[in-house]
Amino acid sequence: MIGASIRKETQLLLRDRGRLISLFALPVIFIVVFGSMFKFGGDRRDARPIAIWHEPNDARGIAVERTLGVTPGFRADPQPSADAVRHAVTSQDVGAGLIVPPTGNVELSIDQGEPIQARAPLEGALTGVVMRGLGLATAPPPITEVTPPGIAKPLDDVSGFQVTVPGNAVLFGFFIAMAVAISFASERHTGTWRRLLASPVPRWQALFGKLVPYYLISLVQLAFLFGIGAGLFGMKIAGSVGALVVVSMAVSLCAVSFGMLVASFGGTEKQIGSIVPVVLLVMGLIGGCMFPRILMPPAMQQIGHAVPHSWALDAYTDLLVRTGTGLAQVATPVVAIVGFAVVFAGAGLLRFRFER
Amino acid sequence: MNVLELRGLGKDYGERTAVRSVDLDVTKGEILGLLGPNGAGKTTTISMACGVVTPSRGAVTIGGVSLAKQPRAAKLKLGLVPQDLALFAELSALQNLAWFGSLYNLAGARLAERVDWALGVVGLRDRARDVVRTYSGGMQRRLNIAAGLLHKPELLILDEPTVGVDPQSRNHIFDTVRGLRADGMTVIYTTHYMEEVEALCDRVAIMDHGDIVALGSLDGLIAQHAGRGILLEIAGDAEAAARAAEAHAKVTRTGNALRVELIAGSGAGLGAVISAIEAAGATIARIESRQANLETAFLALTGRGLRDEAAA
Repeated sequence: MIGASIRKETQLLLRDRGRLISLFALPVIFIVVFGSMFKFGGDRRDARPIAIWHEPNDARGIAVERTLGVTPGFRADPQPSADAVRHAVTSQDVGAGLIVPPTGNVELSIDQGEPIQARAPLEGALTGVVMRGLGLATAPPPITEVTPPGIAKPLDDVSGFQVTVPGNAVLFGFFIAMAVAISFASERHTGTWRRLLASPVPRWQALFGKLVPYYLISLVQLAFLFGIGAGLFGMKIAGSVGALVVVSMAVSLCAVSFGMLVASFGGTEKQIGSIVPVVLLVMGLIGGCMFPRILMPPAMQQIGHAVPHSWALDAYTDLLVRTGTGLAQVATPVVAIVGFAVVFAGAGLLRFRFER
Repeated sequence: MNVLELRGLGKDYGERTAVRSVDLDVTKGEILGLLGPNGAGKTTTISMACGVVTPSRGAVTIGGVSLAKQPRAAKLKLGLVPQDLALFAELSALQNLAWFGSLYNLAGARLAERVDWALGVVGLRDRARDVVRTYSGGMQRRLNIAAGLLHKPELLILDEPTVGVDPQSRNHIFDTVRGLRADGMTVIYTTHYMEEVEALCDRVAIMDHGDIVALGSLDGLIAQHAGRGILLEIAGDAEAAARAAEAHAKVTRTGNALRVELIAGSGAGLGAVISAIEAAGATIARIESRQANLETAFLALTGRGLRDEAAA
């Protein structure tokens, strides 16, 4: 019966163009769009251009420009005049600019309206460049960078797709919950659920038979999205592929369980179709699927833990970005995701009514 | 031999009682018509008999097997054709029947043989691979029946199987039901169409307010509950005319129409009724003799008041 149920639900899915688009095509479009956007801002392979101007043959200016050129992550972008530097910043061709006069203060041209989280690291780094270039930093800073034990070394060339593939996989992976809930509502509406209850199939098996196909479809969806990410967009998997599979299994379980909870409320297809996407998008937003949680205020970062999306993203990010990450390193998020699944499924089972 | 036995079967939804206490025996090979106005409790009774709804009280036995104690064995003996078109509209007839057959452990060659047989019974073999959404209403109704037949149940319950179909499809469904009975299947047939029950059923159960209020053969029910009636259309004071006629007959007034039933053995004939009405100052505009049938019996048992509440 389970095999027949998988076949039936797959046949129904293949005939439902809207659902196919929302589960498979839409996430790919989001991955492409957001991945391309992140590539220019966060890709480690591209040094960030900094506009700079100084008088020709001015020793101070030459020293600062040279220091900028050898600083990792930056590239000097010489301009013909001080105004040209300011214009480059204004037109957002560069993130910041340095105007180095023969005497007096160096002007750091930067949009002070930008969030402090984005502006401060750049200001700090360029201040260091100027200090070293002008010989004001007489000794190396008394700082040694050390990655604490337990955090694996990240890949050197993290692309935007390392972030957008898991983000959108989790965001759209949870849309299977809507498919589950609509499937229950549709069967109740058409009467096929009634026919199922009149058959000799035990009720627990009828319920299980509805959920298993969607669990498998969810796994196929995640495999498809990560496969597209790795195959087409060059997304790397720095950690264990086996652990990635385990995390995906937990995410699928959680998403289908959430669908069971939604189905237990017994809404119509129309109600589910209008309310659940909003709930899923808010969960995705809080969980960092659309906007990295690391850029959120601390309070929002904590709130993010209230949804399974954030745990899933933590696990996926480590597995994709940090070399040597295995199941042990992502055990905490996996346990959290399974915990959410148990709560969702438990609440759903308590609320679910076979006879409605 | 009884194929279905309902004993004290009842269902409450909170404070509301949908079915009070139903006792019913359905014998092998018969077609039992189940009638009742909206909200009478027909669908709830059927749902309990099929194991779709858990009864609040009472017991169901199908083919000698207790539904409560051995639900799997009992349900294997029963086929349900729900009132709704319980089909997957986006799948073909074959795909639908393959799924519903799997619920009864049908697979492989046995499933293929049963699917072919069921499609043949309802006359849909040539459209087997078409998507159900493309079927006419009558074809969908016939496929709905095929899905309930696949496992060749001892008892087939048809819940309003002809809603919204054309006369041709309705006749095809009648022929299908008669053919199944000829093959030894027992059928419970619920409908709002009296002529369907008159055409098909051996016995009739009439439900109202959650109880079976009448059960028997078609002729027996008509003889017992319908009576022969005469309809008099009154010009003038119909109320006074009704009062005058009541001295000689049983009278029911609806507006300016009087339905008159002569009381057997009273000695008063129609002439006495007419004289009484004319003596009351009213005149008779039209006289119509009403043939007793199932509908008059049904209305006599369940009344003429509208039943707008949701079907239970």
